[in-house]
Amino acid sequence: MTTHHDVIIVGAGLAGGILAGVLAEGGRSVLLLERGRALAYSEIPGDHLRNHRLSLYGDNTTPESHGHPRVFVDPAGGEHSVLPHDSRYQLNAFTVGGGARVWGMQAWRFHPDDFRMATRYGVPAGSSLADWPIGYADLEPFYERAEHEIGVAGDHSGTTHAPRTRDFPLPPVSRSPSAEWLARGADRLGWRTVTPPLAVNTRPYQSRGACIQCAQCIGFACPTDAKNGSHNTLLPRALATGRCTLVTRAHASRVLTDTTGRAVGVEYFAPTTVDSATVERRTAHAHTVIVSSGAIESARLLQLSASPLQPHGLGNHSDHLGRHVQGHDYPIAYGLLPPDVEQSFLGPGVSVATTHFNHGNPGVIGGAMLANDFVKLPLIFWRQSLPPDTPRWGLANKRAMRDDFRRGIDVRGPVQEIPSPASRVTLDPSVRDTFGLPVARLSGTTHPETVRTAAFMRARAEEWLRASGADRIWSWPGEKKFSAGQHQAGTCRMSADPRDGVTDPFGRVHGHDNLFVCDGSLHVTNGGFNPALTIMALAFRTAEHILADQ
Amino acid sequence: MSLTPSQLTALRALLDRVIPADDFPGALAAGTDNYVLRQLATDCAEEASFLLLGLTQLDAEALARHGPDQTFATLLSPQQDALLADLAAARPATAWPAPRAASTWFHRLVDLAQEGFYADPANGGNHDAASWRMLGYEPGTTPKPTAP
Repeated sequence: MTTHHDVIIVGAGLAGGILAGVLAEGGRSVLLLERGRALAYSEIPGDHLRNHRLSLYGDNTTPESHGHPRVFVDPAGGEHSVLPHDSRYQLNAFTVGGGARVWGMQAWRFHPDDFRMATRYGVPAGSSLADWPIGYADLEPFYERAEHEIGVAGDHSGTTHAPRTRDFPLPPVSRSPSAEWLARGADRLGWRTVTPPLAVNTRPYQSRGACIQCAQCIGFACPTDAKNGSHNTLLPRALATGRCTLVTRAHASRVLTDTTGRAVGVEYFAPTTVDSATVERRTAHAHTVIVSSGAIESARLLQLSASPLQPHGLGNHSDHLGRHVQGHDYPIAYGLLPPDVEQSFLGPGVSVATTHFNHGNPGVIGGAMLANDFVKLPLIFWRQSLPPDTPRWGLANKRAMRDDFRRGIDVRGPVQEIPSPASRVTLDPSVRDTFGLPVARLSGTTHPETVRTAAFMRARAEEWLRASGADRIWSWPGEKKFSAGQHQAGTCRMSADPRDGVTDPFGRVHGHDNLFVCDGSLHVTNGGFNPALTIMALAFRTAEHILADQ
Repeated sequence: MSLTPSQLTALRALLDRVIPADDFPGALAAGTDNYVLRQLATDCAEEASFLLLGLTQLDAEALARHGPDQTFATLLSPQQDALLADLAAARPATAWPAPRAASTWFHRLVDLAQEGFYADPANGGNHDAASWRMLGYEPGTTPKPTAP
């Protein structure tokens, strides 16, 4: 079976849905391939053991638990074939809408200096720290567009780390009493705080209702569809044009290129009918191909697509493909609220943050935004948030849960990682997926500078709790580890010069005029913020570029 | 894999000490034993033989410490707690398969018990949301009916 389209997009995640919407509304015929299914709210269980915040035995979106392992290489060189719910797999939700079906919705713009890290800090030994080939000003109009077309609730005057011209379309989330308490603590330290921008309908917007402030938010789907992503905005717009065909349970196996390097289409496996267990191999042809499968699978697909012209993978002419894997190191300081501060179980829960330490910290590179956490599931609290001297069982443990669940508070932040070329995605030489294709092999570890910055930020998080008046404060030291996870980025970095990266500043794979990458893979560095809004802004920008150019 | 009657008795006695009843229901009233049994048959099937072996060993520990007419379930609560604290600290009185096996085994069962007790009721170990009521936690995912 062979079909013909203007554009093929591999992956219907946050970026893929935006690309589909802009391109289909721009008149292009689009084939959108997604390896997961389109899930209704009722098909994403509220299971506290199997979700995207805690996945002990599975999760609530992965279409199949077996058949698609990854190989994780531990620091000692041991190889482990791991399943999706294993944290070493670095899972982002495999479903239409991607991670944004179940995300925490933090929709931050990067700081202008996040695009020029090498210029600002120099390049530490052993790292591949580099500037982006574009700057904040290039993305600003597309940040604004993402905020309005996806729907972000925020505090215009308080969001000072990144210049902005237009207000958010939705008012910020309300602050809980414990967040107000943290804001007062920050005031005492002279740290400015802000209500974090969240992609949530704080009031009805775009024909969908408002958030009901449930206590089962991050890791789960939204009961009122107030959790915004491309799945409930740009993707429906794409489908409404009649020009976008969405094929679910479709696994791309290869981007097809001709002898000049032009992409001619995509080979993929899909069920013979929508719910069939029988899978067939298909070929789709297109004028333009966009790979948008997340930093791990996008790099894998380009490697699987090696050609005589590019024997080590498309875009791998300069040995950058699959390298520089980044996520976020996440230092956390825990504490107990004083008895007179009321705990709130109203979601989402993240309602106070500071960007005071994103840059300019003495002796370390970069920094992080710090914020309070989402309303916690009881079991997550039991696993992570009890004071360290609490017995793990017996009456003492039960009483600590009863008393401290109402008093637990923590502050955490995504530390901007210093990329390392040795942190990488390659094709595993022996383990294959259900289609017989080599699976992603994940190896390498955090650069030591990341650990230093994380230690600095952990101390700031503790300082914030101390100034606020927490009764007890504790935290755990960080460590070097392979870091990707839901914030995975960096494997197809942009560069002006083909020698320095995989794609050009619009996401076009160097040397392949009509082949693009569009997801966190493009990020040269991953900011000291949750990266989703930057992924969205790049998707709008790449889509507009393709409309004008292809 | 099914439990012998004495293993099942030992499991329930163990869960009753890991999450005892007080002003609020404990593991047994919340059905956490049913959760653990279901996990042994499903997600934790690969661990089941080790976990069951430990339940048998638990009675051997009671016998070694308190005499031949005792099982773990017949001990007094303080005796049970002292025995479990010894296992947690890898100080068994009998021979386990590996030096730290007693501690590993006990902490794994603690994890299973707590995850059943604090997870959503649909998982079977938190009947009637007993633990959530104690904590004051509700998912709140059902939209409140609006006034007509």
